[in-house]
Amino acid sequence: MNHGSMVADRVMDALLRVFIGAVYAFLLLPIVVIVLMSLNAGEFLTFPPQGLSLRWFGALFANEGFMRAMGTSLALAAAATVGATLIGTGAALYVVRHATRTREALRLLLMMPLMLPEILTAIALLFFLYATGIGTRTVFGLVVGHVLVTLPYVFTNVASALYNQDGSLEQAARSLGASPARAFVRVTLPLIKPGLITGALFAFVISFDLFNMSLLLKGVGMTTLPLQLFDYLRWDFDPTAAAVSTVSIVLTLAAVVWIDRSVGLRTLRFG
Amino acid sequence: MTASTLAAPAAAPTTAAAHAPRSRAIWLIAPALVLLGVFLLLPYLNIVLMSLRPPAVGAPYGAGFTLGNYGRALTDGYLLGVLGDTLLLGLTVTPICLLLGYPVAFHLARTRSRWAGLLYVLVLSPLLVGVVVRSFGWLILLSGNGVINRALIDLGWIDTGLQLMNNRLGVTIALVHVFLPFMILPLVGVIQSIDPSLEAAARSLGASRLRAFLRVSLPLSWPGIQAGTVLVFVLTLSAYVTPVMLGGAQVKTVSVLVVQSLIDNFQWPAGAAQALVLTACGMLAVAAYARLTRRLSRGLA
Repeated sequence: MNHGSMVADRVMDALLRVFIGAVYAFLLLPIVVIVLMSLNAGEFLTFPPQGLSLRWFGALFANEGFMRAMGTSLALAAAATVGATLIGTGAALYVVRHATRTREALRLLLMMPLMLPEILTAIALLFFLYATGIGTRTVFGLVVGHVLVTLPYVFTNVASALYNQDGSLEQAARSLGASPARAFVRVTLPLIKPGLITGALFAFVISFDLFNMSLLLKGVGMTTLPLQLFDYLRWDFDPTAAAVSTVSIVLTLAAVVWIDRSVGLRTLRFG
Repeated sequence: MTASTLAAPAAAPTTAAAHAPRSRAIWLIAPALVLLGVFLLLPYLNIVLMSLRPPAVGAPYGAGFTLGNYGRALTDGYLLGVLGDTLLLGLTVTPICLLLGYPVAFHLARTRSRWAGLLYVLVLSPLLVGVVVRSFGWLILLSGNGVINRALIDLGWIDTGLQLMNNRLGVTIALVHVFLPFMILPLVGVIQSIDPSLEAAARSLGASRLRAFLRVSLPLSWPGIQAGTVLVFVLTLSAYVTPVMLGGAQVKTVSVLVVQSLIDNFQWPAGAAQALVLTACGMLAVAAYARLTRRLSRGLA
């Protein structure tokens, strides 16, 4: 290799690094801007902030509409997470441990809500709820929609945790006299715990932020945090909206750190 | 399962015990099958029926069946314009995502930096922050007296604010941001599975680094490129929140129109037909793309 091509390589390397750094900055930019805006002491969304203050978080906590919407979103996300985790874990256990010829078809079916456009699924569900007389007067349809969208996240995470170990440990427990329930709680559950935590937290965060499904399936007079924020931004443009967004970002960050911790713990033990 | 029963010491109760759990195991997947069958497959069949219903006044749809909704969706100049705009948006956002995402994915797949975990979270985090929040971030950045315009004016580079949103540009920027992780993540998976020594071998045989990359790593990452581009394209076609928030009244996509038909105008059959025409167009585009790239990758091999 001659000297010239080495210099060229080094220049290309540097340029590539700058480019990659710029893309990361692009990914972070809107999120950073929102957090800075929410700490703004000024009256309007100005940049750079006119001093730091938590006043807009105070305004947020005094805003009844936002607080009610946040309560709804948290409850909805909790319900969806419980539903998706129970249904998705069972499905993952079946697909990995029991399915043989149907495995690929089932896997495809379970991942389908992720591959179909959310808005089309929401529309289809809306029509279906009316056609069957269930309607949107109760939260049933909304919860079902959220469980549908979050199901693939639980399924895929639990399934990959299950793939990483064969069923011999449960069978050992069973052959030593443990009941199936006991073998599940004492052996299977600890083994799939990292996948379960990751899947459930993903499901919670995705449900908390879901927009299209909620827009079409919510009952009259009901609202979730993303919907309320969307409506708010139509008329107002003050840092309260940034404060709401920051709360949602912090919630997400907490979930990511939690996932990182639980996955990190696993690598510590097995890696 | 069969292999391990051979090794199990208690072989006596096998036949009975092995069959009972299998039939009982069905209950593990039954809830998922019911959920997906009743609340996903049936609704998708039903949406086809809905698109064949006649419109009505004072009700979401009338009795009987008609092909009129498709006729209108395929002949109305305005609707076709919006359909073309939506497809064009997909055809702009997808290559930009690939261009920005590929180097990042390649770096992330090959890096041994101890920051790799953090970088992965950085790529993933926009995906986890809600789409309304992210679009709001771009609103702050791109609006008439937003962060970018203000900075440019303060620097003296421009006198009046640039029109960065309420147009195609703003929607494109925000959509690239929203969907970039969907490009990067499949690419990382595929690039990680490529043996780095293949590229090293090409280089030791005298290929320049660029040539080694173009002839070895790039063709081998085709599956990731294909997965990422299809995902981003399809997601862009059905995007709703971002076009509404950053496009204003200027940029209409089919999803915006469909929601308008459903919620504001209460025209369910028309909305269903429009949504299905868009889905069909998207599927045709993806199929054509798959054919094209199959021929292309065969040519490369």
